[in-house]
Amino acid sequence: MPQAPMPELTSSVKLKYVKLGYQYLVNHFLSFLLIPIMAIGAVELLRMGPEEILNVWNSLEFDLVQVLCTSFFVIFISTVYFMSKPRTIYLVDYSCYKPPVTCRVPFATFMEHSRLILKDKPKSVEFQMRILERSGLGEETSLPPAIHYIPPTPTMDAARSEAQLVIFTAMDDLFKKTGLKPKDVDILIVNCSLFSPTPSLSAMVINKYKLRSNIKSVNLSGMGCSAGLISVDLARDLLQVHPNSNAIIVSTEIITPNYYQGNERAMLLPNCLFRMGAAAILMSNRRSDRWRAKYKLSHLVRTHRGSDDKSFYCVYEQEDKEGHVGINLSKDLMAIAGEALKANITTIGPLVLPASEQLLFLLSLIGRKIFNPKLKPYIPDFKLAFEHFCIHAGGRAVIDELQKNLQLSGEHVEASRMTLHRFGNTSSSSLWYELSYIESKGRMRRGDRVWQIAFGSGFKCNSAVWKCNRTIKTPKDGPWSDCIDRYPVFIPEVVKL
Amino acid sequence: MGIVRENRVEVKSMLTAVSSKPSRSARVHPFTTLDNAMSRHTLHVIVYYPRSPFGSFDLDSVRISLSELLSMYPPVVGRVAKTPDGILEVKRNDAGLRTLKAKVCVGIDEWLRSADGHDESDLTAWEDMPEDPSTWAPFRLQINEFEGGGVAIGLSCPHRQADATTLTVLLKSWTEAQRRRCIVHPPSFSPLPSILTDDTDAVKPNSAPISKPISTKTATATFRFSSSAFKKYIEEEGIFPKASPFDVFAALFWTRVALVKRKSHDRVCLCVDFRRLLPNPLPYGFFGNALNFSSLEMTNVADQGIGHVARLINDHVTNLTVEKIRSDLNRVGEQGLVYGGDLTIVNMEHMIVEGDPMMYDAVFEDGVRPVHVSYRIGNVGGEGVIMVMPSPEKGFGRVVSVTLPEEEMSKLLVDQEILRFEPKIILSGVK
Repeated sequence: MPQAPMPELTSSVKLKYVKLGYQYLVNHFLSFLLIPIMAIGAVELLRMGPEEILNVWNSLEFDLVQVLCTSFFVIFISTVYFMSKPRTIYLVDYSCYKPPVTCRVPFATFMEHSRLILKDKPKSVEFQMRILERSGLGEETSLPPAIHYIPPTPTMDAARSEAQLVIFTAMDDLFKKTGLKPKDVDILIVNCSLFSPTPSLSAMVINKYKLRSNIKSVNLSGMGCSAGLISVDLARDLLQVHPNSNAIIVSTEIITPNYYQGNERAMLLPNCLFRMGAAAILMSNRRSDRWRAKYKLSHLVRTHRGSDDKSFYCVYEQEDKEGHVGINLSKDLMAIAGEALKANITTIGPLVLPASEQLLFLLSLIGRKIFNPKLKPYIPDFKLAFEHFCIHAGGRAVIDELQKNLQLSGEHVEASRMTLHRFGNTSSSSLWYELSYIESKGRMRRGDRVWQIAFGSGFKCNSAVWKCNRTIKTPKDGPWSDCIDRYPVFIPEVVKL
Repeated sequence: MGIVRENRVEVKSMLTAVSSKPSRSARVHPFTTLDNAMSRHTLHVIVYYPRSPFGSFDLDSVRISLSELLSMYPPVVGRVAKTPDGILEVKRNDAGLRTLKAKVCVGIDEWLRSADGHDESDLTAWEDMPEDPSTWAPFRLQINEFEGGGVAIGLSCPHRQADATTLTVLLKSWTEAQRRRCIVHPPSFSPLPSILTDDTDAVKPNSAPISKPISTKTATATFRFSSSAFKKYIEEEGIFPKASPFDVFAALFWTRVALVKRKSHDRVCLCVDFRRLLPNPLPYGFFGNALNFSSLEMTNVADQGIGHVARLINDHVTNLTVEKIRSDLNRVGEQGLVYGGDLTIVNMEHMIVEGDPMMYDAVFEDGVRPVHVSYRIGNVGGEGVIMVMPSPEKGFGRVVSVTLPEEEMSKLLVDQEILRFEPKIILSGVK
């Protein structure tokens, strides 16, 4: 018996070294090619000696015009190259909203309110309890003040005051952190999927902070939990067109008007998971920001599966039999999310994966197409491309599914799980809470690459890749500052309620 | 009386105030024998402020300090549960304090002048415990805003879970948390000292003997006596110098009520808080019931001089030893209703700490002291209750609240002996 594990161990160690060797070879192929050539060239030069080199040089017969034309040509080509290169987009800083303690929702309070409000529907109450037990949420998530009432009072006024509370607090914090003056904001993008009053939330921000009259403001609504990255994409495009500008993105979801008041089970699910949160992000294309910016945007890939009917209907807002509006989540949600992720990976893979993985993937693809369709598809190892992963904390099932599909370890998905535990599903802003978690743990170093993946209704899968610009010191304030020492916590499969 | 009482308090909304931190402990709080003896009664404290510390309510800093304070009081935000043996206990599940918001259609001065005991009960929220107490909130807070400013904060709970001192300390600690001061009396959840519980039986199941239901309508009135009135009485009647204001006012009301009741009314039940009377005193923050109920008898009390009765009361209270307290604990609740089974006189002298009455130091904003604090006991027995409470003005004045059957009360309100003191009578329902 002691003999049997030993060969496995040694063989797996051998395999690891083979893999490492292969990766070094393929990823640094050009260097491996270049070094012998340079060596041969150097040896040749040394062998020739100075007189022979001078002879070769004179025989080339350069004259002034040729030299000038060549240098002119070189300068021209480099100018065209630098001008047409896309501007570097920096993420200067961001700020996440931390709700007041009065908005906290302990499990017992949630279940008690549920029992008092749905007193004629014990089965629905039971269902909510089972969801909450397995949700992965903790006892410190928050709901807006209007939802704490028995029964909840989701008036439009209450929705506006929630919007003002979360957005203005996050933006005040962002202005303080970055020292930005409100009148210097060039682009403003606000995304909030389910609350879209007139005037828009972006107009509300402009009114509060007295922003400039020639500001480029956009309000995105209805785009689901992936709207945060859609806003980043839009900001990037706008910053390509407008030189020397900055952009503020506000990502939030206003819970007050969307708390489902009926008792249809599939529509009660969001009540158990969605929680209050917001994030404000400052992006810039100014050269002067390159020293203080936290991240550089490397890639942003958007994938939309709306053309497929099943994907389109899987997250659907509708009225139930009694006329209450709620969001219906279909049972195939996980499968559809998996498909959307595959489509997204197919695009982002070639952009970020090292050559070794791409080669393997190509070989396995050729193998499947030509030789044997039954061959298992090779899943590229994304851990080689990224140091940190921020998976949208849509629910425990989403994180489990992605961890399985991408073969990630517990530490890679720790930011997502702990954000789900501490803040719940805060929709589009959850990616920023996760990023803040990684920074608060002191794990973010210069040069680290972060992959943010967001899913949203439609069905969409959007990815953003950031590269850390400077090693980030553990922030003294921020949403995690008072509790980061307690994390990571062990989250049981089922919490007994 | 066929007058229909109009309800001047309108409840606008209800929510649950949560603690700021999860309790992270599975500890349960069982009830003592004394607690179970109090189970027929409810307790309500109402504090009146001339200016409300509440603004928008949802985002007030007062709410945040309440949440922080509730983290220190897990039994207040917990829920009552039955063990498999049918014994009740409190679980620390963090469900929260039920909070109601109400509006009163009159001003605070008008209220204090014209409301009576039944009106005051509208200022507090109460619901009897159902068969399944898992979603029943034992502690309830009601914030009542008066027309033209002013607020009454009403805190209610089953008397089984807390006594008047516990609720007073809780409210005072809330104001200390709000003003960012150090909490002077943090809560203590240790059980009663063993010296008191050594030879009590195992916890009796919660079935108190059934006493006759209270059929008579009761009325309440509150008499405010000034310091000078006390001094005047001491001089005129030549009462022994060691008499405390409690002795004098308790004696006064005992004799006058006995007269009104027209019985020789020999026996009263004296309620004294024993936190500071033990050889190892319990802290003020002791959470739960720490009350001693003892009987006091005197023949023909209505004909006795106040000085004589005061001396009897003084001796009785001074001689409360640990053994006496223990034996009283064993016998409490034998008649069912603890308050009002006999005429009950409640002593609150212990709430005056270094000359300052604790409840009037519960100040949210500097300079805005409570104008009045009421304590009400629910389900009081037919004989009535007399509560001698500290006065907002420091010194020898006292505020005496009396609950009696209606006819007896109407006679007491015109009693000349009492009116000699020129008390200010409030909350008696005079229209």
